[in-house]
Amino acid sequence: MNRVILARGLLLPLASMTPELEKIHALFLAEAEEQLATLEQGLLALERTSGPQPLASLLCTLHTFKGGAGSVGLTAAVELAHLLEDLLTLLEARAVVLHAGLGSLMLQAVDVLREQVGLEPASESAQRLPAQEVRRLLESTLKASQPAQTRAAAPERPASPAEPSAHREHTLRVGLGRLDRMLDLTGEIAIARGRLAEMLGQAHRYTPQQLLEAHRDGDRLYLDLQELVMKVRMVPIGRTFQPFVRTVRDLGLAMGKQVRCELSGEDVEVDTTIAELIRDPLTHLVRNAMDHGMETPEVRQARGKEPTGTLSLRAVHDAGTLLIQVVDDGAGLDRERIAARARALGMLGAEETPDDGALLRLILAPGFSTAERITELSGRGVGMDVVKRNVEALRGTVSVDSTPGQGTTFSLRLPLTLSIIEGFNVAVGAETYVIPLQNVLECVELPSAESRPGRTGVFSLRGSALPYLRLREHFGLGGSTPARENLVVIGHERGLAGLAVDTLLGQGQTVIKPLGRFCQGLPGLSGSTLLGDGRVALILDVPALLHQVLQAAPPAAVA
Amino acid sequence: MSEETSAATQYLSFILAGEEYALGILRVKEIIEYDTVTRVPGAPVWVRGVFNLRGSVVPVVDLTVKLGLPSIQLTRRSCIVVVEVRQGNEDIVLGLLADAIGQVIELGPEDVAPPPAFGTPVHVDYLLGMGRVGTARKFILLLDIDKVLSGQEVLSATALRAPPGEDTERTTGKVA
Repeated sequence: MNRVILARGLLLPLASMTPELEKIHALFLAEAEEQLATLEQGLLALERTSGPQPLASLLCTLHTFKGGAGSVGLTAAVELAHLLEDLLTLLEARAVVLHAGLGSLMLQAVDVLREQVGLEPASESAQRLPAQEVRRLLESTLKASQPAQTRAAAPERPASPAEPSAHREHTLRVGLGRLDRMLDLTGEIAIARGRLAEMLGQAHRYTPQQLLEAHRDGDRLYLDLQELVMKVRMVPIGRTFQPFVRTVRDLGLAMGKQVRCELSGEDVEVDTTIAELIRDPLTHLVRNAMDHGMETPEVRQARGKEPTGTLSLRAVHDAGTLLIQVVDDGAGLDRERIAARARALGMLGAEETPDDGALLRLILAPGFSTAERITELSGRGVGMDVVKRNVEALRGTVSVDSTPGQGTTFSLRLPLTLSIIEGFNVAVGAETYVIPLQNVLECVELPSAESRPGRTGVFSLRGSALPYLRLREHFGLGGSTPARENLVVIGHERGLAGLAVDTLLGQGQTVIKPLGRFCQGLPGLSGSTLLGDGRVALILDVPALLHQVLQAAPPAAVA
Repeated sequence: MSEETSAATQYLSFILAGEEYALGILRVKEIIEYDTVTRVPGAPVWVRGVFNLRGSVVPVVDLTVKLGLPSIQLTRRSCIVVVEVRQGNEDIVLGLLADAIGQVIELGPEDVAPPPAFGTPVHVDYLLGMGRVGTARKFILLLDIDKVLSGQEVLSATALRAPPGEDTERTTGKVA
């Protein structure tokens, strides 16, 4: 157990870590994480506007943290928190003035506190100081500002940072109101089930319609419950955004750039898994924007812009998906450099001049980096393809938009939840496939007169050419094509396309099941689901499917 | 692995292409009737498809394809042996398609002989040994299921993941 290792580094002897103590410790960790995050945000806010109000709440948070840390025996953290408290009191009394250096020191102290309680520090900047150094600096700052007061120097104790616990329990705070409603619903479902069972027991007294109606009553309750359970998994995206304010501040200081970090749509709710998995791609984008996008104040002024740049993180619900944007008002992407680099890498022919969108998409390709120098921030051999891969793993898409001299916008479009989608079921032979409803635009019949044999074809949809892919051939299912096929019209990046299937089965909610190790990540498939009769149906990954077709098409046909 | 070290171990035997093979019984979670298996286009050839095991989607491995044996004709006696296999750091559950289930046998260390250098229907690396059973001294091949499904196979499954044409190997020559 990780937490036992954690205890060894601290004051609790290994044997004393009883299950009760472990629970207390886990609770403390969850609370400490929140308190330290609040503290960090408070300090960052303090740097922007100094006033008495934020200080009072900061002191309160710090005090609560100190109490919690004391109760689980984290003496080193208590002492450091105490120093920080003293310093904040001085700030409140205006005995010291907050400057960037002091701000950094206090933020680093928060990081040290994180380390000492066993949480991962937020900042990973190279100039991070060891715990003892932070402590020494805090003490000397305190001493310098209040010469009259003599503080007994605490005995030098080797600060033993607790090992960051990799497997911290994933917990979620849920409003009591929601839980109550869930309990209500389960109760109501129990009643509905009982009623249905009773009716079925005396089925001869009821008509099938009556029985079906009774079943539907229960079903409605169940759907309510399902929706509620999904909602409980939702957390505001703000918690994911917040740490980036610190990242931007630290990076700005390190690189001599003045950047303001703006957040919007913080209360947009997303599935907790997505909130967690989106962190890495966002870190990449923010670092990239800070390193490549943002100019130094001098350059900005020379270009007639405000010396302080703005980096915004935005979240918004858009047409059933979640749209997250990382927007900077920096230099924008250099098209010529991207094209030159792409030619050097052989991704682009010497003569080829792709349209703007395609050119910008190149930076998301694996192995692509336009960085001329290897910097601490971006020269780690990983490019933006990591972002693309991670986002695609979440069944999302990435797009880039950039205006030279005015900035770059990265847009991540993600599904709201990972576990249930609205699906459209189709059948090919004996197999059933599910197409995510968000991809489906309409369905049309493909008369035998207009269908061509083979894997792909073109259908005239109200006068315009609609290329289609026949799933039976594409998946090599065998069997013969029925006289009447149906086309599911789906939207993709470059326009419309069709999927030719045997029959349309209609839409419904689809619970996504992973395909398991040996069948995972296959092109064209994003997962599987269970049908009413217990069979497994595969869920199609529409963008990947179309990508495959475009790749397979001869180059002349693509152009 | 406990089946190699403990004194007497129980094995479950099953029939593949007319030959009797056996697995350590602790690996076997259950045996179920062969029912509808959904084919997964693009999956490795030895994955026959996936099926619904009480709510989780589990792949079915066709060992005859994997081991290069003559392929199975589905019959009424065909069944799926659900096993747990160690892959890297995780245990995965999967089904093995078998012609029929044999028996549960108990073998002491003296009943297990190392596999001969050649002559077995499957590669020696895939065998833990040969078990001698009963008075007829018939041999049963003890499969090392972890090895059968390990390493390169997982790689080949992931290799399929990268869409064709996205590899950058062809470009390296041009950089210089």
